[in-house]
This record gives sequence, C-alpha cells and structure tokens, in this order.
Amino acid sequence: ENISDSSLNITDCTQVVVPEEVFFTVAAAGILENLLILIAVVRNKNLHLPMYFFICSLAISDMLGSLYKTLENIFIILCKMGYLTRHGDFEKKLDDAMDSMFILSLLGSIFSLLAIAADRYITIFYALRYHNIMTLRRALVILAIIWTFCAGSSIAIALFSYEAATVIPFTILFPLMMFFILCLYVHMFLLARSHAKKIASLPTSTVHHRTNMKGAITLTIFLGVFLCCWAPFVLHILLARFCPHNPYCACYMSIFHVNGTLIMCNAIINPMIFAFRSPELRSTFKKMLYCSR
Amino acid sequence: MSALRLISNRTSQQALSNSDYTWDYEYYEYGPVSFEGLKAHKYSIVIGFWVGLAVFVIFMFFVLTLLTKTGAPHQDNAEPSEKRFHMNSFVADFGRPLESERVFSHQMAEESQSLFHFCINEVDHMNKAKESQKGPSLESNTHFQEVPRSSGMFEEDLHSLTKFNIPNFVNTEQNSSLGEDDLLISEPPIILESKLVMQSSHRILD
Repeated sequence: ENISDSSLNITDCTQVVVPEEVFFTVAAAGILENLLILIAVVRNKNLHLPMYFFICSLAISDMLGSLYKTLENIFIILCKMGYLTRHGDFEKKLDDAMDSMFILSLLGSIFSLLAIAADRYITIFYALRYHNIMTLRRALVILAIIWTFCAGSSIAIALFSYEAATVIPFTILFPLMMFFILCLYVHMFLLARSHAKKIASLPTSTVHHRTNMKGAITLTIFLGVFLCCWAPFVLHILLARFCPHNPYCACYMSIFHVNGTLIMCNAIINPMIFAFRSPELRSTFKKMLYCSR
Repeated sequence: MSALRLISNRTSQQALSNSDYTWDYEYYEYGPVSFEGLKAHKYSIVIGFWVGLAVFVIFMFFVLTLLTKTGAPHQDNAEPSEKRFHMNSFVADFGRPLESERVFSHQMAEESQSLFHFCINEVDHMNKAKESQKGPSLESNTHFQEVPRSSGMFEEDLHSLTKFNIPNFVNTEQNSSLGEDDLLISEPPIILESKLVMQSSHRILD
C-alpha cells in the first residue's frame, strides 16, 4: 500500500481527546465511591451477607477499571515528560500487566453482575431453600472461583491478544452474559407482575401501576447502563481486530478515549444502582460520614 | 489500550517499514488509511452504533412496560384498602429508614415461603399463627408479633404438600420497629402473602 500524505487531509478522523482533568476526576470519583462501599460493607456486621459480597465484588472490579485508566494516563504523561522510555522492555511488560488488569475488570464486572442477578433469582424462586443454597461460605467460594477464572482469562487474553481466537470469545461472552442476565431479571419481573395481577384480581384491591412501572424503569436502567458503557469498547476491540484499515472503522476507533471515559462512568453509576439502593448500606454510609466530621 | 495498538501495528507492518512499539496517546497511525471517496459520512459507524443502542434500550423499556400492563381496574377505595396497599408503595420508595437489610434476605426467604403457600393451596385455613412464625416482613411485623407462634400446626400443613421439600426451620429475625403502620390485623392471609411476595420481588426491582 502506498502511504500518501494526501490521505492525511482534513477529512481525517483525528483522535477525540478527552481532557485530562475530566479523565482524572471521573476516575478518582469512581475509585473513591467503590472504596467507600467496600469499607462500609466490611465495617457493618449486618452487611455480611452473600448479596453484599457480590455487590462488593462489583465494586472491586469497577475500582480496578478506574485504577487501570488512571495508571495508564499517568504512565503516558510520564512518557511524554520523558521519565519513561517509549520502547523499553519494562514498559512493554508494564503495559501488558495493565491490559490484563483492564480485561480483569471487564470480566469481573460481567461475572459480578451475573452473580448478583443469580443471587436475586435464587432469593425469589428458591426462597425456601435460599439459606441452604447460598450460604456465606458458598458465596465466598463462588467469588473465589469467579475471580480466579477472570484473572487467568485476563492474563491469557492479554498475552495472546493478537490472535483472533481470543478476541472472538471475548466479544461473544459479552452479549451472551448480558442476554442471560436479562433473562433472569425478566423472569423475576414476570413473577412480580403475575403477583400484582393476582392481588389486583382480588376484591377490594387497588393496583399501583406505579410500582410496576418502576420495575420496568429499574430493569432498563440496570441493563441499559451496562450496555451503553461497555458495548462501545467491545465494538472497538472487534473493529481493531477485523477492519483496522477501513476508514469507517478508523473513525469509530478515533473516539477510543470517550469509550474509556464511559467505562469509568460505569464505575460511578454502578454503585448508585446496586449498592445505594439498600437502606442499610445508605445508613452505614451516613454513619461513616457523620462520624468522620 | 496499547494492546490494540500492538494489533494495529502488526497488521500495518506490511505497509510501514518500521512500526516499533510506541506508547502514545495516538493509538492508531492513520498512514495506510485513505479517506478518499467515502460514500457515507465518515462517522457513520459511530452514529449507527449509538442510534442502534438507543433504539434497543428504548425497545427493551417498552417491552417491559407493556409487560406491566396488568389491566386491573382501578378502584376508589375506603381507607383500609388504601392502607393495605400503602405498603406496596413502600417498595416504590426504597428509602424507608427503618428497614434493616440484615433481615432482608431472611425476609425474602420467609416472604417467598408464602409464595408457595399461595401457589399451592390458596390457604384459607392457615391461621395467622403459622404465618407469624414464617413470615415476618416489615409491614406485617407488628401484626405478626402479636400472634402466638405454633410451629406444629405449620409443619402438619406442610407435610401434606408432598410436592415441596420445605425445610423445617424457622428463622424469625426481629427487625427494627416499624413506623406508622398498624396494618393488616384483619387482612385475609392470601392478600398478605401475595403482597409479601410481590413486595419482595419489587424490592429487588425497585
């Protein structure tokens, strides 16, 4: 192929750069928020339940994602200022380590969301045996398995990221998990709706459509947020692997930093829609904040 | 992600003679990409992707909303039934300060035990003593506290339900005191149980 300078004209898609202040603010907010959740769950004995352990797992993976982005930015700044060489071996290894941290964060997020959905599902549909099925010890074992698997996969993917064989399973896993989580929640949702129907069909009863509507909104927010924050990045990986020279693909890939910022925004939003919906956690938070004053 | 740049570096190695590993903000060298003669707008993938995503999310929302159309009639009711369903609206505002999540999972289990009662035999004959043993939910807690507990009768009823393997344990965790609700003293058990389950599932979804 000829490299012609005329191709670098004003119709190029230049990289969309997110200002560093925005980047660091979003990342710091994400890390802080999730750290607070971890501290709150650790300190309050009432929160030592499987449900909160899964929420903690989600908080950890969100923290890792934000941490990765922060570290990467710091290293790039250091490179620009000349403290780190750009071509060294050490930098390459560091870069690989950070890539695997990022993939670990993504996989951890997906599996934590799956664990949260499964836990809620068991709570509703296997309620009589919930305490036997989901003991504290089992929850910890499940989390250990999940994180070991994620760590192994992330290292493997980071090392072999050049092969199509790693990119394809990675990008298939994402919609598959989303779909599975969606099915679990829709089933729970349908149960809630059928109960609303049964109650409404009884005499002298009213129906609060508002509560059902709120369920639809909550579910949409759950899944919509995850989709909107992670799907752009997953598409980026696909396009980078399969059509890097296509101008359309190149234009999509130029907004890479926006996609990265979206992932960090997901780290900020996730606690709000999972952790902060629990009144016990909120009251623990308030206690922590007021005591620290 | 610089791994991606590594990918792009390797694929463009046919074109570029020396594409060594660089760590830079510019993740992609646009050398081999020609932007001449594009038929569609250059950001068409970006626009198409986000529009598609928005459409999908809105579609999902409408599907879920349609599912919520139970079609039940609204009724203008006297005070008691409004109070009865005041606790349904409780799940909408999830911020009741008295709710203790410590009992939440226990409550979920016990409330959903009532789900099985409801599904199985539409219990009319199960008296409130059994319910008090098995289902301390927030709203009905004051109601349940006043009723004496008898585990034996409950177990007998459950044994008749051979379909379910119901564990022989009771976990009646006392939660914090309730607020204003002195509800449900006279309420039939079916409504109570159904509402409990609905609340539990709504509590998750709200």
